[in-house]
Amino acid sequence: MDPHPRRPGEIVFTLFLLAASLGLLWSAYGIAGFEALSSPGAVPMATTAIMVIAAIMVLVHTLRRPAGSTQTVARHILPLSVVVTIAMILGYALLLRPLGFIPTSVLFLAVLVRFLSRRSILFCAVVSVGTVTLIWLIFRMVFSVLMPAGIFPEARIVAFITQLF
Amino acid sequence: MDILSNLLMPLTHLDLLFLIGAGTFAGIYVGAIPGLSVTMAVSILISFTFAWDVYPALALMIGIYMGGVYGGSRTAILLNIPGAPSAIATAMDGFPLAQKGRAGEAIGIVTVVSFIGGFIGIAALAALAPVLSDFALRFQPRDFMLLAIMGILLVGSLSGGSLTKGVFAGALGVGIGAVGMDPLTVQDRFVFGIDELRGGISFVAVMIGMFGVSEALMQLHNVHTPAVRQKISGIIPSWAKVRKHLPLGLQSATIGTVVGALPGTGGDIASLMAYDQAKRVTRNPETPFGEGAVEGLVAPEAANNAAVGGAFIPMMTLGIPGDAVTAIMIGALFIHGLNPGPMLMIEQPNMFWFIVGSLMLANCFMLIFGLTGIRLFVKVVELPRTVLLPVILVLSIVGAYAINNSLTDVYWMLGFGVLGYFMRLYGYPLAPVILGVILSRLLDDNWRRAIISTREDFGAMMMGIFTSPLSLTLLAAVVMILVTNSPWWARWRGRR
Repeated sequence: MDPHPRRPGEIVFTLFLLAASLGLLWSAYGIAGFEALSSPGAVPMATTAIMVIAAIMVLVHTLRRPAGSTQTVARHILPLSVVVTIAMILGYALLLRPLGFIPTSVLFLAVLVRFLSRRSILFCAVVSVGTVTLIWLIFRMVFSVLMPAGIFPEARIVAFITQLF
Repeated sequence: MDILSNLLMPLTHLDLLFLIGAGTFAGIYVGAIPGLSVTMAVSILISFTFAWDVYPALALMIGIYMGGVYGGSRTAILLNIPGAPSAIATAMDGFPLAQKGRAGEAIGIVTVVSFIGGFIGIAALAALAPVLSDFALRFQPRDFMLLAIMGILLVGSLSGGSLTKGVFAGALGVGIGAVGMDPLTVQDRFVFGIDELRGGISFVAVMIGMFGVSEALMQLHNVHTPAVRQKISGIIPSWAKVRKHLPLGLQSATIGTVVGALPGTGGDIASLMAYDQAKRVTRNPETPFGEGAVEGLVAPEAANNAAVGGAFIPMMTLGIPGDAVTAIMIGALFIHGLNPGPMLMIEQPNMFWFIVGSLMLANCFMLIFGLTGIRLFVKVVELPRTVLLPVILVLSIVGAYAINNSLTDVYWMLGFGVLGYFMRLYGYPLAPVILGVILSRLLDDNWRRAIISTREDFGAMMMGIFTSPLSLTLLAAVVMILVTNSPWWARWRGRR
């Protein structure tokens, strides 16, 4: 018997992996069925079948282990800080195109640093503006990575900086 | 005389010397920033150096490459976020050492063994290029297929915990690597009618998500724990310490060179194989593997830097990339009107010796910058996590976006970040997922080539494996890895 107790949500996650593996196996079967060993679906079918078998083995093993009593989902699996951070990354991705890289990043950093550190608004503003300026200089000016400009007049600023040299 | 003058060319031309130095310095930091890969940096550099002469362009790229492979180890040690896939194994023992406040010592020994490994790889490139490329030419598709299976199965011992979870993770990685249009038949695989999936899922987005985002989410659990103050004394390791780890370093460098020289592999696989080998051969490490064993740092770092020299062998002699960066460099050589392959070595040996000289110089710069820049770098971990983690997340988002200038990659990064977070919570190793993605194409292509060559006769293919000493050796290695990582083997060993 495995001495490690089962963590909260472990069965749900294993069932999710099993369901996803079965779905992928069905999708892999749909590529070319059992048409030929060299078909484009051969390796995907083999790997997803391995995933299904492994997920079943993990599920059986997980069910056999005793449930732990010291941990909770809210505290040890999905604490508020993790949920908020995931939601903020999603929000960042959604706002990146309409607002642009600079405003979205400043907003993301300021809000997240404030939420995590509880430091003053001034501190959060300085950290976020300073960091985004540095990142923008490295990515935009050195590596020429084009991030979405959005509402920010980035092109005019770049033209102004270029004129200086 | 010609060889010597070409070998010393990067040293005698100040502009080339400067570019190699600047490239190595930048490479160390690019490699160390989570979300910025050396592959990405070199690919972006191509557009910068498009109008340059071929020598300075190569000098800069070689510097970035050498520095970047080494730089990945820094965040692996300090933040448990490998800056590059070749530093995945380094994080396993490097981060536990940093948690004990021994980051300076860890980075010091890593720098020295990276230099030694790098030197051995370059020496092998110079001395053995034609011999090793001849050997790689003998590889049949079935051998590449076995090599890929071997690489994925190494997860068993790397995962440390459940072999089943490691195998699941490896298979998941192969599945992710198969997403998109099949390169041979252009048939959709795991596309589900979504157009964006036809081009496949970016490996860099998976890597940033799995290692960058999931690690940041994990660290949110104890975000208010004060950071361990790193001891930055004793950065330069004593000769006694270097001598103690030299045999393992040399052995790992040899693995790195050979694996790096195999087309399609590279530092990622080399470092994992060397780590696995180190676990097998090290009898009494001062600290167990996974808890801060110095041997667990020496092996992958000697191997991944040795693989740099190794990766140039198939590139220069066969025109086949040794890894992703050399694949980009082949593109750069094409842009500059050169045709890498057997004829390049014959028609333009000066180019070969210039590359060898540049690699040697970049290796020396790496040692100098690596040992002198630690104090500043170590300060990064002393920043409050409440500030550091959001910054890492922004860098990860920018890195994911910059791959294709596409928001889809950001969503993938987030998706794999959340998946990786839950996988970490429930004891699934993440390194096999990445290994699976890297090896997916190698496995798929060569399985199909092997089975087509026997006219779909599986028995004939197996017979081919059993009658070829090379294939049989690889198959034996696969079986050995499976057996030695099974619970039955552990029980049998326990009884003895």
